[in-house]
Amino acid sequence: MGKYVLKRIGYIVLVFLIISLLMYALYNLIPSDPARAQLEGVRQTLRPDEYETMYRQLRAQLGLDDPLIVRYLRWMGLWTDVDGTFNGLLQGNLGYSQFFKKDAVDVIVEPMKNTIFINIFSTILSLGITIPVGIYCAVRKGKKFDQSMQVVTILGYSIPIYIISLIFMFFFCVLWRIFPIMGSRTAGITYANDWEAFVDKLYHITLPVIVMTFASLGGMTRYVRSAMIEALSMDYIRTARAKGLREKVVIYSHAWRNALLPVVTSIFGWFLSIFSGSVIIENTFALNGMGRLYWQGLNNQDFELVLAIQMFYTVVSLVGNLLIDVSYGLVDPRVRVDK
Amino acid sequence: MAKSKKKGFFLWRWLRRGVMGGDAEVRDILQEEQVQTPLRTVVNNFLHKKLAMTGLIVFLCIFLLVLIGPRYWVLDLSEQDSTLTNLPPGYNMMSLPKEMIGNVADIAAGRTYGIGIDRDGHMYTWGHTRITDKIDLADIPDEVREADLTMIAAGEDHAVALAEDGQLYVWGNTRLRQDQFSSDMKRAMQSGEDWDIVQLEAGNQFSAAVSAEGTLYLWGNTNMADAKIRSEYQGNIQKVALTSNEYIALLKDGTVAYTGYKGSGNPLASIPAGLEGKKVVDIASTAKTAAALTEDGEVYVWGNTGSGEGNIPAFEARVTHLYGGRAHYTALLEDGSVVSWGNNKYGQTDVPDSLEGKQVTAIYTGNFQNYALDADGNVYTWGLKGFPLGTDDLGRDMLTRIINGGRVTMTVGAISVVIATLIGVILGGLAGYFGGKVDILVMRISEIVGGLPFIPFAMILSAVIGTRIDPTRRMYLIMVVLGVLSWTGTCRLIRAQILAQREMEYVTAAKAMGIREVSIVFRHILPNVFSLLLVSMTLDFATCMLTESTLSYLGFGIPLPTPTWGNLLDGANNSVVIQQYWWRWVFPAAIFGVCTICINLVGDGLRDAIDPKSNER
Repeated sequence: MGKYVLKRIGYIVLVFLIISLLMYALYNLIPSDPARAQLEGVRQTLRPDEYETMYRQLRAQLGLDDPLIVRYLRWMGLWTDVDGTFNGLLQGNLGYSQFFKKDAVDVIVEPMKNTIFINIFSTILSLGITIPVGIYCAVRKGKKFDQSMQVVTILGYSIPIYIISLIFMFFFCVLWRIFPIMGSRTAGITYANDWEAFVDKLYHITLPVIVMTFASLGGMTRYVRSAMIEALSMDYIRTARAKGLREKVVIYSHAWRNALLPVVTSIFGWFLSIFSGSVIIENTFALNGMGRLYWQGLNNQDFELVLAIQMFYTVVSLVGNLLIDVSYGLVDPRVRVDK
Repeated sequence: MAKSKKKGFFLWRWLRRGVMGGDAEVRDILQEEQVQTPLRTVVNNFLHKKLAMTGLIVFLCIFLLVLIGPRYWVLDLSEQDSTLTNLPPGYNMMSLPKEMIGNVADIAAGRTYGIGIDRDGHMYTWGHTRITDKIDLADIPDEVREADLTMIAAGEDHAVALAEDGQLYVWGNTRLRQDQFSSDMKRAMQSGEDWDIVQLEAGNQFSAAVSAEGTLYLWGNTNMADAKIRSEYQGNIQKVALTSNEYIALLKDGTVAYTGYKGSGNPLASIPAGLEGKKVVDIASTAKTAAALTEDGEVYVWGNTGSGEGNIPAFEARVTHLYGGRAHYTALLEDGSVVSWGNNKYGQTDVPDSLEGKQVTAIYTGNFQNYALDADGNVYTWGLKGFPLGTDDLGRDMLTRIINGGRVTMTVGAISVVIATLIGVILGGLAGYFGGKVDILVMRISEIVGGLPFIPFAMILSAVIGTRIDPTRRMYLIMVVLGVLSWTGTCRLIRAQILAQREMEYVTAAKAMGIREVSIVFRHILPNVFSLLLVSMTLDFATCMLTESTLSYLGFGIPLPTPTWGNLLDGANNSVVIQQYWWRWVFPAAIFGVCTICINLVGDGLRDAIDPKSNER
């Protein structure tokens, strides 16, 4: 097992390097010249030849004339900078956000907190709903409830999430005026204490959480249901029933434990989405989260920030895949992952 | 062989079976087992699934609509009209109330509504009369309701009515001084002197009245409009015609003049030379042009004739009257027939055939509407009746945009799926067929691509490359991006299938018979995989459409003004649009939702049909 994990980690590092190189090259396709941008302010005060020498010096200083691969390695933190130190991603320097005039790390912290906050709620809620509903549907397969749930889940995973948000907004924000339509805090408010701030935040994220939960119901319910049906059709269930066990014991002790195996693995992957957030939901509800920050960054041409977030997304998804595979082997000893 | 018995297209057979209530061709089980190809079994299984078939039929209807629809609802990307913004769905803009038929005294055609008075002096409104949230032209003030009205005029956002006792009423939007009469007017109105009004006109935030004595009264918002008259012309006016921001006057001596102050450099002020020395009997105007009718029946049009107002048709009889809408003219001829020309976007110039042979006594034309009155008192209408699905914030027809947007979305979805399937089948086939190092390489590549976070990656590709190319190329770019990012599922499927099928008995049998490897792969294995491929393509199609619309919704897909089902909803997430302009998001969302649901139903049905065991799940 340990060997397998090590191998996979090595593989992840390789994939991460490839993707980051691709992304960095893509990012370098954008025509921009930081040296010229920095000199723009003093351009008028200098004679053309002075300007030219300063420009050349600055280019050399920033390392802009080096080949792409060197610049990439520097950005990654694997090659010495012009001043002889390592200062890149691996040293924790995610770059500088031109739009916010701050280090990308500082820009990301606050949205990340928001995103995690929102996603924890929605993940717990949807797991709390989908697992019981899925089991119930499987046990009462073909009954009215099951059939109607089938229709609801098809709706859930077919309709784009932004349309679901619009419909929920119409009912909850416009028609009944229960929730605010967007934003993550009441405009112009000063909080008396932290508790008030927390309640206000909770009030603002309720609707996004409901929408996210609703949208994720479809896939997960079907997954749990089919895993459960599979488990219920096994021979050991027939044996358990034949020896006279109560139906509850059969379902929860025998069937459910085995149905859990595939579900657990997908839950692992799902928990990772807590960090990445949903670009669509955060945009629709104007929540200050990772997805929205990414969207803003792209719109503002703030590519160093975008690149940092993109790398973060990549790491999250790669680690997620690893966790899914490893957890599969952990929860189900029959699956030998290190083969 | 059962094969020869089964004639005809499967849909036809399915229909026949539905009608006759049973399978006419009864085959014994052995025959069916032996002869049916996997594909045929799948089709047969599929046809028995009601939900999936409903999904298929609904999807095909939508598909045909967006395929054929753009021929009839032609998209004009530069289209916009400030007077037609945010109109709700409806088709009643020219539906006169029953009480008025046969009793019409005057009709004023507004931008999306009509106002009429009958011979008893009662007033009626119809069509979309709401100007803003608070202002509705149908809320006629009580004093207007009670007054005996003789003349009315409908402007952009206000209406003017003249009572028998000479009192003028203005209602509607009065925030821009539309109801502020000048002191001269007030005096004349009170004394009745020089106040025998013969013509009443209302335009874009300003209004005009002409008295029998030749005095022109102008009032309203003069910031935009040239609503003033040079003193040398005052008292000499016979008729005026209002354009959107100016007016043209017919003087009592039969000449046409631009009598306002903003004439220099204005194409409207350059009266055609052909009119010189001729006596003009009637004038009319559209938003940007003016027209004059001379005594001997010649029609001249001048101004900014960009909408085709200048294409004057050949008249079969002498023209007696001219009327102008927003971008079209209507002429009444001596023999009682009617001719319209100019912009025909909303059918403004399609004079109804039923008007043929009728003696037309009066025509009321304005904006996009025409009303003709025959000698029996019947009213004939042609022009803009309404928008079945409303209009958006730039005055564009939602129906046209939804249909054309559907075509774009479906094209992008289909081409992306084709690209993804091609890549997937080729790479998957290579991996499955060759195995070994090729297999490892392909699977690693597919893991990398599959591991990329999809939406963010597509967004960055679109943002980095897409900003420097024109919209059409950007559309191709989106197709390629979607295709290149979504082939991994197909690739894995094909590889797994080929690996599995290679171990099957029939392949062993084929090998034993000495059939070539290539032939085994393409003639034996691929047909067995095809049905599964079909399912994955169907489901991928829905996914690609969803992704495209999501990207467009976020602003990183197909850019406006090209419509797609995603970017139609762009800007819909604010309370004003959600509540007041519900048609702007409900209709695109509904058709798109129905479409993706149907595709998913079809995909699920196909999957069940291919693997009957999964029915039990």
